[in-house]
Amino acid sequence: MYEPKIIGYLCTWCSYTGADTAGTARLKYPSNLRVVRVPCSGRVSPELIMRTFDQGAEGVLVLGCHIGECHYDTGNHRAAKRLPILQKLMEFAGLEPERLRLDWVSASEGDRFARIVNEFTEAVRAQGPCQWTMISRRLPVIRHPLSAISELDSALGGQPARITDHGSLFTDSIRAKARELLSTGQVECVIGYEVGPRGRTRPAFVYQPDDVERLVWNRACTHNLTAYLREKLYATKPGTPRKRVAVVVKPCDSRAINVLLAEQQFLREQVHVIGLACEGIVEGAGFEPVSEGQLQARCARCIDRMPVVYDTLIGEPPEVGQVSNLSHDLAQLEAMTPAERAGFWLSQFDRCIRCNACRQVCPMCNCPTCLYERDDSLWAGMGIEPSEKRTFHLGRAYHLAGRCVGCNECERVCPMKIPISLLNRKLAKEVEAAFGHRAGGAPMPSPFVTILSGEEVRP
Amino acid sequence: MNAMPREELAHWLDRLAGGKTLIAPRDVDGVLLYRPVTSSAEVVWDFTRPVMSIKDAFIPATERLLMIEKTGQQIRLIETLAEGEQVIFGVRPCDARGMKVLDALFLDTEPVDPYYARRRENTTLIGLACRELGPTCFCTTLGIALDDPRDVDVMLTEVEGGYAVQIVTAKGDALLKEARGWGLDVEPQIPDRSDLSTQQPVISDLRSLDWPPYFNDEYWDRLAERCLSCRICAYVCPACRCFDVRDEAMPSNNGHNQYERIRCWDSCAGVNYRRIAGGHNPRPTKGQRLRNRFFCKFYYYPQQYGPVACTGCGRCIDACPENIDITEVLAHVGQAGGSSHNR
Amino acid sequence: MVHANRHNPMLPYLGRLVEVKDLATEIKLFRVELLNGGREAFANYRPGQFAFVSAFGVGEAPFGIASTPHRTPMLEFAVNRLGAVTTGLHELGAGDVVGVRRPMGNAFPMEAFKGKNLIVLGGGIGGAPLRPVIQTVLDHRADYGHFTILWAARRPSLLVFTDEYDEWRAAPDTDVHLTVDEPDATWDHNVGLITELLEKVAPSPESAITITCGPPVMIHFVGKVLQPLGFTPEKNYVTLEARMHCGIGKCGRCNLGDKLICVDGPVFSMAQVGALLESFL
Repeated sequence: MYEPKIIGYLCTWCSYTGADTAGTARLKYPSNLRVVRVPCSGRVSPELIMRTFDQGAEGVLVLGCHIGECHYDTGNHRAAKRLPILQKLMEFAGLEPERLRLDWVSASEGDRFARIVNEFTEAVRAQGPCQWTMISRRLPVIRHPLSAISELDSALGGQPARITDHGSLFTDSIRAKARELLSTGQVECVIGYEVGPRGRTRPAFVYQPDDVERLVWNRACTHNLTAYLREKLYATKPGTPRKRVAVVVKPCDSRAINVLLAEQQFLREQVHVIGLACEGIVEGAGFEPVSEGQLQARCARCIDRMPVVYDTLIGEPPEVGQVSNLSHDLAQLEAMTPAERAGFWLSQFDRCIRCNACRQVCPMCNCPTCLYERDDSLWAGMGIEPSEKRTFHLGRAYHLAGRCVGCNECERVCPMKIPISLLNRKLAKEVEAAFGHRAGGAPMPSPFVTILSGEEVRP
Repeated sequence: MNAMPREELAHWLDRLAGGKTLIAPRDVDGVLLYRPVTSSAEVVWDFTRPVMSIKDAFIPATERLLMIEKTGQQIRLIETLAEGEQVIFGVRPCDARGMKVLDALFLDTEPVDPYYARRRENTTLIGLACRELGPTCFCTTLGIALDDPRDVDVMLTEVEGGYAVQIVTAKGDALLKEARGWGLDVEPQIPDRSDLSTQQPVISDLRSLDWPPYFNDEYWDRLAERCLSCRICAYVCPACRCFDVRDEAMPSNNGHNQYERIRCWDSCAGVNYRRIAGGHNPRPTKGQRLRNRFFCKFYYYPQQYGPVACTGCGRCIDACPENIDITEVLAHVGQAGGSSHNR
Repeated sequence: MVHANRHNPMLPYLGRLVEVKDLATEIKLFRVELLNGGREAFANYRPGQFAFVSAFGVGEAPFGIASTPHRTPMLEFAVNRLGAVTTGLHELGAGDVVGVRRPMGNAFPMEAFKGKNLIVLGGGIGGAPLRPVIQTVLDHRADYGHFTILWAARRPSLLVFTDEYDEWRAAPDTDVHLTVDEPDATWDHNVGLITELLEKVAPSPESAITITCGPPVMIHFVGKVLQPLGFTPEKNYVTLEARMHCGIGKCGRCNLGDKLICVDGPVFSMAQVGALLESFL
């Protein structure tokens, strides 16, 4: 009979004692469970759980105190918020949801403990041997059933970009504003867009009023320039004078500013936001000398056409036109079996070269040392094994849950064309469903990272 | 001119794939890469160049150097050199030159890197001449001809009726003997060479560029402002080779703890490339890191090992998400007068 | 340094830890007995060379060799616990096995130093690669001129090889000066930065050589103070460090301009360092 390897993270105050109670009462429960004692269920981080599966666990059980009974008051709130979202993510990546369970057991509930362990072990056993790491060790070239995904996307979202040429109007307005801000010394730099010698649009950093003629606006202005704000503005030494810059943003980029403000990466008064109305950016932007063409899929899906935060607003709300609900690719993945999804993602991550461009281009990814790049390989190794790379991407997506604004730059910059934004979109959907929160609407932290409020449903 | 028709070439590749690892340009979910193929049916015949170079076949993105077995206080080390022969088909002259650039460091400078040396020994390169320069190609600036046979073992040039097959090295000769042994009709020849003078180089003579006066140029900080400090440019480059070394745990085996010592690609553009334990980082700014990248390629590497560490393949230009363009850098350093500019 | 043998340069020799002793706060001295062929590889290492030491399962890192072959057949390394590898090493004890690769880098030109007055400046853990210089001078005392040792650390608990001061002081024509930035209650020597001590001691540049090792910022300021004291840059030697991963000039990481610290260094004269495009700071 197949005996799954199960790791249990038990909080020392309630569930571990509950396990003891079960033991004293000589209640029977399967011996598959290996217990790791933690101070609180809130300590059990998503990285830890993913690492546990990566290292061969076939089931992970997290037990904490009942809500309201946590020794640390709200530690278990963190577990209650974090783990269900992690479960959705790992399920989306191909781990059967039956393999991860969060539950509550008090010190006196020996029988409840035994029952939960029994149930969980049987549920995991019913899934059979865990393929989470096994597939990767074989390193096959997996032909995934979703090879048509990009065709699907472009078929539905491939509306040609409108030919309304607000380009030159916007360009003039941006230049005028930049000239004004720089010559009056209100900002030391304007971060905008320019066109390089090969005709490719790229970020521009303008410091002199005479230089503003470099700035342009066109349908290839794909870059999320807020990614450059933190390094320009973050004050590491107290007492150093605060710098001030202007930045040109599209609606999606403007939401990133709210997230960065909520996370105190800089102060609102340090940024003069030049917000633009946006009809969408074209495919090939940033890499090819394009100025018109098919809309990028993320723009075809976009529901924000005006920036949510700005100091200067350029443009009128555009006629929205058809907003395609391009979640067919998400739905297609969700309809697959876990094994099919696991195969899909491993074949995608097989191509990943760990260049970290997706992380570097993201305005929200700004940890001084990325958890997944630690010298001691604590949460992921540095090698090219698809499952290691998957851990990095899943972990990063998880860290962005409730924070990602969907600018899709991560996907654009990927040299291997990995549809990485599917992970972010999936999590955005789950966080919105669970917490009613969409990233960047206002400069406030997402409820996902706070404790359970009165209105939130106790899981 | 006895050209080898494509069907014959396909047949030859099929035979090769049967006995060795055959690496060829292949479509992997919409991305063109040099990857192992099991049959010629998987080969892409018409292309400019794959996104990644052939470097991966010699310095893999991750390579196991040793296995470490720990039992109590006992340690056992097992050296893990590559086994098995490889043939790479469809090697563009720029990629082949990349290997010569790396040879200068890994083979021609003591101590010889045994991992690289083994793979280089076990690999035969079947080159494929380019028909034209791609929009971002500048190999001619590096003195590489579109049909340059110098760095491969066998060179194929597309001609009327198929491919002209040229033997370049003894290894190439052995490969062709093997092919004839299989009954393949291969008549080696040297086709007419392309006229380099018709190609426009970016800079006429890279050796004439004077890099040291540009070391303290503000240009690097300005250029690097849009740099993401990702590692794409180094990873797609046929001539970049920096690596990181680390021990990582493997599943334990019968009471022995097992680890592998692996080396993985790294890039001087990465933020923590030079950061030491304790936190000090001698290249904390993007400008310093980017400057090192270009100085290393065009000044340090040639000083130390001979060749310029660039083959003009243009991959970095295509792949950089923020359009940091090596040809713009060369144009800047090539300006007469060599002084600081604001751009 | 060309090695004639074809031993895989990335394959460590095994060494057994004979002793691990505390040198200072978070600094331990490791004494390694080489096994399986390592003894030949390390038969003739010279002061200033370093080696990669492996904490198997964690990784390996470069450490200056703190011993000399003519005093002991053991290899000695001083390890400051700061990161993953050093923590891995600190968790080991006598009897555990580590890996050591080969003597790497260039060495102090002790031959060229003969007949000169030597001034050694060691800051904190930087004292470790200087110890073989001190030992060599003491063991061949007549070959060298006046010997001055300036030994410094931030606090007394961070000074290394304190139990060897007596041996140093006992040598003829040898002065030892100690200094710390933050004294404790028992400290009764100089207080202040090593640069201040250097100005106080003001050694003569006449026929003299300085050898400095310590944090980059210390090397930088020592260089600045030596200038007005009359020491021209080619008289001042330093040993530099950088993040390294191979130690044999392949991984490309430790370059200072077109020089690799692992192969062209770690020992440089300040004249050589000054001629480089890139700063080591």
